[in-house]
Amino acid sequence: MNSAPMAFVRELVRVGRRDLTVVAIVAGMCVDWLAAAGAVSRVVAGLISFEGFGLAPHFRRGVESGEVTMEEYSEHLLICRLQAQARRLPFVPTVAGLGTDVPALHAESGALRVETDAATGRAYVACTPLAVDVAVVHVHEADVAGNARVNPKLIWLDSEIVNAAERTIVTAERIVDTASFTAEPHRTTYPRFMVDAVCEAPRGAFPTSCFPDYGHDNGFFEDYLAACSSPEAFGDFFERRVAGPATWADFLAANDVQPAGGDGGEAGS
Amino acid sequence: MSGAAPAVPGYGCTIDELMVVTFSRAMANDTRAFNGAVSFIPVCAYRLARRTHAPDLVWAASSIAVDADPDVVGSSTLSDELWGGASMLANSPFDFWAYAQGARYNTFAFRGAQMDAYGNVNNSVIGPYDNPKIRLPGGGGMADLGCMIPRIYLWSTTHDPRTFVDRLDFRSGVGWGDGGDHRASLGMPGGPQLCITNMCVFDFEPTSKRMRLASLHPGVSVADVQAATGFEVLLPGGEVPATAHPSAEELRLLRTEVDPTGARLREF
Repeated sequence: MNSAPMAFVRELVRVGRRDLTVVAIVAGMCVDWLAAAGAVSRVVAGLISFEGFGLAPHFRRGVESGEVTMEEYSEHLLICRLQAQARRLPFVPTVAGLGTDVPALHAESGALRVETDAATGRAYVACTPLAVDVAVVHVHEADVAGNARVNPKLIWLDSEIVNAAERTIVTAERIVDTASFTAEPHRTTYPRFMVDAVCEAPRGAFPTSCFPDYGHDNGFFEDYLAACSSPEAFGDFFERRVAGPATWADFLAANDVQPAGGDGGEAGS
Repeated sequence: MSGAAPAVPGYGCTIDELMVVTFSRAMANDTRAFNGAVSFIPVCAYRLARRTHAPDLVWAASSIAVDADPDVVGSSTLSDELWGGASMLANSPFDFWAYAQGARYNTFAFRGAQMDAYGNVNNSVIGPYDNPKIRLPGGGGMADLGCMIPRIYLWSTTHDPRTFVDRLDFRSGVGWGDGGDHRASLGMPGGPQLCITNMCVFDFEPTSKRMRLASLHPGVSVADVQAATGFEVLLPGGEVPATAHPSAEELRLLRTEVDPTGARLREF
């Protein structure tokens, strides 16, 4: 619902990627696009939904049909696995998940272990490192060196993925001068050495939100779900409104969205 | 997704309004709450409580926006639509998880597609885990926050035997666990306090930690509740009271200030 790198995800769909493993702590539309396109075979997540709009339909059907495997964690268990990876620790402990069926899902793989601290006798879940090849995050501003800023401040969990991943791709609402970062270094979210590539993508989180620039697009969610009434209707919708447009600017036009507040017309592709 | 809620006979309100008011009245002035996904009833309750008997109540909208006071509740309770008027945007990676793990936030509400007598919830799958009949969104933070937060509230707008089950298909979030002292033995603070449904209010019997009928909404009988519940409903000593009547002022605030567009009906 918030700050998903939709322009990048759409490109994965458009170029026909297959067999992806997607790690997403909390997500919805981006995973559903990938499931609808047959691009994803494994989802590692805590929550995949359309929130107040209902279930994510293609994710749901993908798992029910066996085409998509859901490797399910709770939000904090997944965060701890990412933190263990980021910090090169054997595990990060948490009380999250105790007393639930979630840790047992990962007993065989060894990804999670329920243990007791010898010193205090307290139970915890040991969350082992989760390797991530590439993080993709959407931000408000970036420079060509890779410095990136979520404006006004980082709110969601993107940094957990960035810190764990081998490489990071940033999509940005706007490319700005490096001077903009040096003038206010306390507001930089990711330094250039953590970022491997930057791509300009105005309205790049559409139809999810990019606070405070724009909110999630109710109309898109409603149209998307309405189109799920039949495979034909959805196929037409998906081609017209998601996968078909050649560039991101074309995509925004197909969805009747202005690329940016007031200074439209400079959409990247 | 958005539906209509039935009228409550003799109360001059609808069932969503009765649920919000009942939930609101359970909130003490020292409540420090936040909300997760699809949590329209709790969100409305926190907002109403702050306008009535609990002015110091803390509510972090979407678990992010502390002391938010938006003009309306929108289509998502995890959305920045809810953040208007906030005094702080507490971020997820650092602030939120520290406040939650330290029980600085003391109140959390969850709703499962399935719930059992001990207030454990399932939001992962219906049917066998590896071959589910319905793949649900997943527990999200349920498995985390159920362990960490001392005052847990449950709610459901679909009180029926498919929701209130004897045995969950999967335990996504822990309430009182296996009952008795199980939760305490895991080192977890507090536990579920109430479960507010479209038929009644349950509390939890202090020894077994099983749901016990605390009040009935008007027009609902004990037999109705038992028929709609897949486990044995414990009864209090004596007659089961009726759920208290919302005041005219509570209903006015709910309708005009807390949720003027009726976002809470998305849960019906």
